[in-house]
Amino acid sequence: MDLQQSIVQKVREAIEKRSPVAIIGGNTKAFYGYPSEAEELDISGHRGVLEYDPGELVISCRSGSLLSDISVILAEQGQYLPFEPPAFGEQATIGGTVACGFSGPRRPWSGSLRDYLLGVKLINGKGEVVSYGGQVMKNVAGYDISRLMAGSMGTLGVLLEVSFKVLPVPAHEMTLGFDCDQAEAIRKINSWSGLPLPLSGAFWNQGQLQVRLSGAGSELSRAAKRMRAEEINENCVAWSELREHRMDFFTNAARLWRLSLPAATGPIDLGGNCLVDWGGAQRWYDTQLPALGVRRLAAAAGGHATLFRGGSNEERFHPLTPAVKRMHLRVKQAFDPLALFNPGRMSRDW
Amino acid sequence: MRTFLSDSLRRTPVGREADEILRSCVHCGFCNATCPTYQVLGDERDGPRGRIYLIKEMLENNAATRETQHHLDRCLTCRACETTCPSGVQYNRLLEIGRAAAESSVKRPLTERLQREFILRTVPRPALFRQLLSLAGLFRPLLPVAVKKVVPESVSKTECWPETTRPRKVLLLEGCVQPVTAPRINLAAAKILDRLGIQAIPATGCCGALSHHLSREEKTLATVKSNIDLWWPLVEAGAEAIILTASGCAPTVGDYGRLLEWDRNYAERAQKISALSHDISAFLEREDLGQFANSANGDQRIVFHSPCTLQHGLKRAGRVETLLEGLGFNLNPVQDAHLCCGSAGSYSILQKKLSQQLLAAKIEKLEEGEPAVIATANIGCLMHLQSGTGRPVKHWIELLDQQSG
Amino acid sequence: MRPFECDGLSVYRALPLMVALPTNTGQVREILKTCYRLGVPVVTRGAGTGLSGGALPLEQGLLLVLTKLNRILAIDPLNRTARLEPGVRNQAISESAARYGLYYAPDPSSQVACSIGGNVAENSGGVHCLKYGLTVHNVLEVTVLTIEGDELVLGSEALDAPGFDLLALINGSEGMLGVIIEVVVRLLPLPETAQVVLAGFASSEAAAATVSEIIGAGIVPAGLEMMDRLSVEAVEAFNSPGYPRDAEAVLLCELDGGEAEVAEQMTRVREILETQRASSVTVSHSESERLRLWQGRKNAFPAVGRIKPDYYCMDGTIPRRELPRVLADISAASSRYGLAVANVFHAGDGNLHPLILYDANQQDELEKAERLGAEILTMCIEAGGTVTGEHGVGMEKIDSMCEQFPAAELEQFHALKYAFDPPGLLNPGKAVPTLHRCAELGAMHVHGGKLPFPDLPRF
Repeated sequence: MDLQQSIVQKVREAIEKRSPVAIIGGNTKAFYGYPSEAEELDISGHRGVLEYDPGELVISCRSGSLLSDISVILAEQGQYLPFEPPAFGEQATIGGTVACGFSGPRRPWSGSLRDYLLGVKLINGKGEVVSYGGQVMKNVAGYDISRLMAGSMGTLGVLLEVSFKVLPVPAHEMTLGFDCDQAEAIRKINSWSGLPLPLSGAFWNQGQLQVRLSGAGSELSRAAKRMRAEEINENCVAWSELREHRMDFFTNAARLWRLSLPAATGPIDLGGNCLVDWGGAQRWYDTQLPALGVRRLAAAAGGHATLFRGGSNEERFHPLTPAVKRMHLRVKQAFDPLALFNPGRMSRDW
Repeated sequence: MRTFLSDSLRRTPVGREADEILRSCVHCGFCNATCPTYQVLGDERDGPRGRIYLIKEMLENNAATRETQHHLDRCLTCRACETTCPSGVQYNRLLEIGRAAAESSVKRPLTERLQREFILRTVPRPALFRQLLSLAGLFRPLLPVAVKKVVPESVSKTECWPETTRPRKVLLLEGCVQPVTAPRINLAAAKILDRLGIQAIPATGCCGALSHHLSREEKTLATVKSNIDLWWPLVEAGAEAIILTASGCAPTVGDYGRLLEWDRNYAERAQKISALSHDISAFLEREDLGQFANSANGDQRIVFHSPCTLQHGLKRAGRVETLLEGLGFNLNPVQDAHLCCGSAGSYSILQKKLSQQLLAAKIEKLEEGEPAVIATANIGCLMHLQSGTGRPVKHWIELLDQQSG
Repeated sequence: MRPFECDGLSVYRALPLMVALPTNTGQVREILKTCYRLGVPVVTRGAGTGLSGGALPLEQGLLLVLTKLNRILAIDPLNRTARLEPGVRNQAISESAARYGLYYAPDPSSQVACSIGGNVAENSGGVHCLKYGLTVHNVLEVTVLTIEGDELVLGSEALDAPGFDLLALINGSEGMLGVIIEVVVRLLPLPETAQVVLAGFASSEAAAATVSEIIGAGIVPAGLEMMDRLSVEAVEAFNSPGYPRDAEAVLLCELDGGEAEVAEQMTRVREILETQRASSVTVSHSESERLRLWQGRKNAFPAVGRIKPDYYCMDGTIPRRELPRVLADISAASSRYGLAVANVFHAGDGNLHPLILYDANQQDELEKAERLGAEILTMCIEAGGTVTGEHGVGMEKIDSMCEQFPAAELEQFHALKYAFDPPGLLNPGKAVPTLHRCAELGAMHVHGGKLPFPDLPRF
């Protein structure tokens, strides 16, 4: 259903009253970031595919469309969103997915959500409807405002429509398993990542490294041979369980940290359980170590740490350098001069 | 590119030629990527695209400055840019025109003039050059490092020019520097030709490249004419080709026809001479070289440095390498093979600093695979490379001769 | 200073107030500080190969040339990254990474010469971006200096960074937001094998239809390129890569990956080519053959300089399905203007590069070329595309931006520019037109006949 008019109307009223709004889609990722106390602006009814031509490898849809619906529509044509976005709930919308900017296990090899985002239509803080990017793969006319929306948590505008590049689903997939400790797993996967192997997933948890290959069937068995592994079907964790954080590691975690690191960084001991994903570039920790300590270790390794779930009244995101933070405030100001969209949701400063 | 040459300039043959070349440039900048001086200096004015622009400005405004001349001087004339240029810009010809224009309107400082004059008066004259080399001390500071380190070879009495009369005859140009510093090269060539049943008749003299590159047109033309006078009777007597063992000479002799196309007395002969001239690799390619196949030293690694005149000037990139490999020689691959070694004729004397930088980079690439011998195809490169390495540097024809020897 | 008056688009030129060639980033910092204090505009330039006049100097500004900052600072084979100064040539990255079996994927046609700083500023594409993405997909971290003297490290050596994705914003920002002084790129393992197939077709339409067939078959080629008869003629004159001269259009399709996969896909592609009645099919059987076939395509732009002294290169991108129709429209417009158009393009991405051939020494030909160019860009916008896919707006397409974006969108761009560069000193006048300019242009359309940028000298 096209609710653009009514959403624009609500935003303009909010502007008039200088009254902030908290943008809500499926409300599946409310745990992430900080809660926003403003009045809710529900966009979940604004749904529907606007254009999808499989030959063009592009899909455009309204932001309230369910991620699960989009996946089904694409699957019917043998295509998918290659960044494997986690939904974290059946009601997840495509708009919320963009706003959070999460990507799944395939990310290091296939790219991230923002890599596939081709265009957006949004309402800015002046109540204007603006469109950037669109249906084509390459577009350098003006600044890349579309990709800036990815992960901006609704603080820069209200997304109305989004367009993604899509790809054909790989012909075959194969999962391999290896028993090894964390250090060896990181070493192994990074040396494989430097070789032309059809990798599409690699995570380690509790002494087991699980690797996914995607591509032509004949290629997968060749690669498995090269990696000296056999296909595993038993005891293998479904990749969707990892993506949706349904594994015990995640459901048991009281305070879940996400560390984003250079992939080959050796194991970092935070005194709790660890799950290594993205071939080493994304590591999950269930740890009680104080935030400051976690951040210091992540930064020392050239990465950053996010308190993803749980925890109390702590800083969720890694602090920005003063210069970069200053720029964030100005960018926010450029889109939302009255600071009405999702105040406090992404940072206590905006 | 659009040009604004004055009508009067455009009416001259040189002006018209320059205009055509300038217009064929689309200013894409691909040339900078393979230009040795641009790679070192990173300054637009020290790459071909910038030099083309400087020449354009100079011709359009009829105003040459020392600065323009300075940047044109820094060009090695290696012509790597011509190989790279997709639009087919005849850069080298434009540079000749530009340098000549600068030379005629900008007065060089006294030291530069003296240095240039000295080179022109000594190097192309083997007898004098030999004497000076043995004198040492006095004038050494003026000489390129390359020459300083080279001790003139003496050829032992047993090795002499083959004198057998053969039905097929060719002229073998001895050159100016080569008979003094590396007489074995021409000897090796003569012996190889002899074994192929071809008699090599030595032809003396400088090809004229040296003065040509220093924009001394009158002197160049005088040299060229005297060469033609000297060689013509031999050509008429049935020499089937004029063979050049220094790839640096081949493009110049190949250019005689164009240099004298306006001279009624010489045009025809000059053209014939140009047509008959061949770098020795081009000549030998058509002969059966089976007897020179390398059997003994199969595992000895050699590396070939392709002179710019060979790969860019004569457009024979990879040909000598193929020939040697075909005969069983083991060649190391060379990274950045398209880059100049920095010798470039008198460049190594006149632009010492840049020349040495390029030499160091080249030696590093050539020695990467620990070769036993560095082979090349031009005396200038040979001496220059030898000054920067302890490994023997030889003309590839010498390797063939050793093989058969 | 003349050699600096234009970049790869030599129709627009301006002599800068001064040129700076810093040899280290400390000097860049000092230069910016001084310019900020004195209010002097700064135009940053890399290798000067851009085709949209993005590095066109300002007569009252400083031209900041970063070609001397050309060191590869580090290559980390295990993390597969390279840390680079902005003046490093694109191709030099892959050459240095080759010893580790790695390479840098984006390969614009000018890759021998263009530098990474410029690649980031323009978000350059290349012939392989259908599969491997644009510059934005292959850059991990960029360090920029703002005009106010702040150093911003955007992105990180990990796969993401906290906060807004300002890294994505810097890619393609055309030197308007900051000066790029360091770049970390992602390196990929060299594919086990790559094979290219060259097919000739009796018509551009048939070639375009084949593009859709290949992609529709679920194949993602590493590159999928098309050239028309005129451009084939030009590259054959340059280095005879062996393209069929009798075809109206040729298609180059590269497949890479594991040997088994490539073989499997090649069979499928050949079947499609057969069904689509390709008039000739050549498959590369060695690396040197593959490179030779690409040599033609990569040199296509400057090579058309052999047909006519000058060319004007367009960069519109359209949905692939519109290819046949837009091609036909371009061809009609070409005959209407009496100027030949050579078509070279990234067919897989729908990114057109019509090259309008003209002679700059004939004053009216440049004007005609510019009008024809603008008309082609309008066609692209109308087909649901964009005026620039990978070359950037620069100076050249600034008026077409008024057509593509309404006022509110342009204002949003300006607000963003203001966030990074409040005094508006970085590359002013490029990339995003002022509303004032667009309003005047609207008036110009009514009155007609006036040239864009009457204040700029042109040749």
